[in-house]
Amino acid sequence: MKQPKQIDAVIVGGGPAGLAAAVALFDHGIENIIILEREAQLGGILRQCIHDGFGLTRFSQTLSGPEYAQRFIDAVEKRRIPYLLKASVLEVSADKTVTAATRDGLMQWKAGAVILTMGCRERTRGALAIPGDRPAGVFTAGVVQAYINLYNRMPGKEVVILGSGDIGMIMARRLTLEGAHVLGVFEVQPYPSGLPRNIQQCLLDFDIPLHLSHTVTQIHGKSRLTGVTISQVDDKMQPIPGTETFYPCDTLVLSVGLIPENELTIDAGAVLDSRTKGADVDENYQTSVPGIFAAGNVLHVHDLVDFVSLEAERLAASVAVYLREHQLPCCPIPVIPGDGIGHVIPQHISGQRDVSLSLRVNRPFENAAIVVRQQGRALCRKPLRKIAPAQMLELTVKAQQIAPEQALEVSVE
Amino acid sequence: MTKEFTCIVCPNGCQITAQWDGSRVGEISGALCPRGAAYVSQELTAPKRNIATSVRVQGGVLPLASVRLTAPIPKEAIFPALQQIQQLTLTAPVEAGTVILRGLLGYDSDVIVTRGCEKA
Amino acid sequence: MEEAYDVLIVGGGVIGSAIAREMSRYQLKIGVLEKNLDVCYETSGRNSAVVHGGFAYDPGTLKARLCVEGNRMMDQLSSELDFAFRRCGKVLVGNTPQDLETLKKTIQQGEENGATGLELIDEQQLHQLVPAVVGKFAMYSKNSGIMDPFGFTIALAENAHANGVDYFFDHKVTGICRADGRYRVSTEKGDFYSRWVVNAAGLGCKEISDLLGITGYRVIGSKGDYLVLDERTGKLLPMPVYPVPSNTYMGIHVTSTIDGNVTVGPNAETVTDFTDYGVPQRNMDFLAESASQLWPHIRKADYIRNYSGILPKWVDENGVIQDFKIEIRDDIAPNAINLVGIESPGLTAAVPIARYAISLMAQREKLIENPRFSPLRKGIVRLRGKSDEEKAALIAQNPDYGELICRCEQVSKAEILQAIHNPLGVHTMVGIKYRTRSMMGRCQGGYCQMRIAQLLEQELGLKETEILYARQGSQLFAGKVREEAEG
Repeated sequence: MKQPKQIDAVIVGGGPAGLAAAVALFDHGIENIIILEREAQLGGILRQCIHDGFGLTRFSQTLSGPEYAQRFIDAVEKRRIPYLLKASVLEVSADKTVTAATRDGLMQWKAGAVILTMGCRERTRGALAIPGDRPAGVFTAGVVQAYINLYNRMPGKEVVILGSGDIGMIMARRLTLEGAHVLGVFEVQPYPSGLPRNIQQCLLDFDIPLHLSHTVTQIHGKSRLTGVTISQVDDKMQPIPGTETFYPCDTLVLSVGLIPENELTIDAGAVLDSRTKGADVDENYQTSVPGIFAAGNVLHVHDLVDFVSLEAERLAASVAVYLREHQLPCCPIPVIPGDGIGHVIPQHISGQRDVSLSLRVNRPFENAAIVVRQQGRALCRKPLRKIAPAQMLELTVKAQQIAPEQALEVSVE
Repeated sequence: MTKEFTCIVCPNGCQITAQWDGSRVGEISGALCPRGAAYVSQELTAPKRNIATSVRVQGGVLPLASVRLTAPIPKEAIFPALQQIQQLTLTAPVEAGTVILRGLLGYDSDVIVTRGCEKA
Repeated sequence: MEEAYDVLIVGGGVIGSAIAREMSRYQLKIGVLEKNLDVCYETSGRNSAVVHGGFAYDPGTLKARLCVEGNRMMDQLSSELDFAFRRCGKVLVGNTPQDLETLKKTIQQGEENGATGLELIDEQQLHQLVPAVVGKFAMYSKNSGIMDPFGFTIALAENAHANGVDYFFDHKVTGICRADGRYRVSTEKGDFYSRWVVNAAGLGCKEISDLLGITGYRVIGSKGDYLVLDERTGKLLPMPVYPVPSNTYMGIHVTSTIDGNVTVGPNAETVTDFTDYGVPQRNMDFLAESASQLWPHIRKADYIRNYSGILPKWVDENGVIQDFKIEIRDDIAPNAINLVGIESPGLTAAVPIARYAISLMAQREKLIENPRFSPLRKGIVRLRGKSDEEKAALIAQNPDYGELICRCEQVSKAEILQAIHNPLGVHTMVGIKYRTRSMMGRCQGGYCQMRIAQLLEQELGLKETEILYARQGSQLFAGKVREEAEG
């Protein structure tokens, strides 16, 4: 094996976060970098998201996923930022050595900084432990999306969708447009987990019913799926006996959550946050391993790609400082999610500069406010008419408000 | 009468109420931005949607190119429009941004490629 | 034209394939009739994957004798056939004085059976072996181990095939009839003729036994459910941990797997439908709760899937479980080797069972050695687990090793292609999974399934509607979204 190549930064993953990080890093003057992408093209998951609705915040127009990605790919090409396709990273070590398998051999880089932008994966049937047979015809929503939009394969004709995540609803529409019959979308929670506009334009527009507080309690079919049993659930999300209804179908699509893809992060020794399932980071998006940074869906699952790009650009600004000064300000102040908050990023701040907190609530609220407090003292308050867990929120805390050393607690009031 | 809408223009998904007498739009409330009112007016008079789908590609690295419309079309035209798009066949290479069908079904809307396809 | 065999084996599971492989040492024309589309769809692939020590069975039984033999043989088999096996040991953990008595008796029984390396250990020794386990003392069986049951069964079948055995998948036996000194074995795909028939039908052993005219066996299905935990948990469990066994049942245990996962199970339910592998919710909850008393690391966040297996148990009229039955009934069905109730420890004992069965045949017919027989078989060389230098060398030799298809299990395109072109001609998705571990990881195929389906189509010239997940009728796709353009 050859000696590892010295490089300023390796970016693991050429999806929206990796592309935005690379472009921003280059524009900060860090040019000795490389993007490693396991697919044959750049763009990540956006390549299969052919629906529109991307880029409204960033480009003030609504684009499809591939178009949004292309703007960043063009920016990478224009700057001639090096990238390797069909390169699967096998290991990122704590000393920032990155090992990747490619058809041209096993390659290694010794990097000044490693930027983790691997995205997320879907929660599966096994993780949910849905009881019943194990036939063909049970797919996650993202797999169905790839089959239909990239591989030209139709997974089925009579479809039940479990989970009201955005991808699930978008696939309900996509399947309907391609001639499948979607019997309904079933959500175990008493509220939808995707965005309201998708309920309208993906379900109601096509007369697809959405059933809240329902879940699949049995899968039927020894070869191909023949149907599912759906039950209503109580307020503890336990199936209510006697409410079982059988739905004959050949396809069950699962849209039941996304999990940051952090196997490399864990192997590098970085500490994860049990709420986000992503790395615990400071305001510079630096993980607990110095010089290893993370942004995008590998850090926490986002609702909009626009915020992924933004987060990756903030990360790039910090990485540029890190590479020049070989260190970043110490971040001793913890940020703690309080009542009503699902998670907050970053988990640690310096208190020396204004910081943007990204967060989600853990249940729907009306006429409430997100409040950041330090020992009871409110630093910042954002009133909101309606807040749902489907939406990511951002709020900025000013440096001059922050007292040293005490934890910040974010909660819904 | 009062009608309720979920705005689909942006991720906020505003819940908007509007007065409607069957032919004219009255007071509209609940929208965080002016686009909400415009959406609701259109929804009451002549609802329109954009669609995204795929077109088969001959000789490409992928079997499909993805497409969308340059402007929304009436809701009731969605399935006839899809039927027409399904008839199309492109030959690789196909560039993103290429207009492959102008004036879909006579509307002021074109079919444009959003993900191109290189030659195999 | 009719095919005439010396031996037809009904069932291509671990027992049928072990018999096929061991019989191919002799000059015999052998065929295997398997109703499924691969060799380990049923009991052979659905179990705890533990190589047992042989202490749990009554002295003098075939179960005891053949298990001890199989355990001793496993290192050699593993090196001949290139499947994964590790003699990691296992512990039976107890807490009460009664447990202690039972474990002492178990050791005594094991020694009587010829098992070695059995000892009682105290809590401190136990915690040195398995840090997190909950228990006051244990019986440690040094020679117990874990293996890859898919790899073992496939290896036996491939080795048999390389030595001239024909495999017929999707060939369910529907009738057996003896005339003119030979058997006609009917399947849905046509008739086969043979001088000898072997009933190695596993869950179907009673049906085949009945078809042979050997009636009266009572075979019940004992179904066990399992949970599979993420590989991250495997690091916390160096060896299988069992509770103190009862007479009839080993109890719910946590088992480290050869690939680093942990399985939790099985419960034991008597079932009549031998094709229903569904796992009910209450059983999953019960397994986790029960096994957590032994080992406290079972968290729902680590569940990656669940599965179940069914053991065919031969019972008497009182429902008491009997020994393996391996017989030739010259009076009713001459030249038919009848195996009934081959359950646990059938995986461990597969090759000794095969040799025992063949010895019955050899008492009735002189077997002539096959001079071309080779006991050696090479499996697919994996990328995973190799050092960086070895990985680099593999990629240099074959660039397909540098293209990862399954990221969770680090399976390269080279391995998938070898699996697609496997010697037995199996081409289901599950067949590829069993041969490579692709789709077995935490994303359960979310990333690689579509790539594997595409490679199957390309490499074998299959239509998308011909891609099967596992069983007959398990089509993965309904068709294309757009029919491909002409030309």
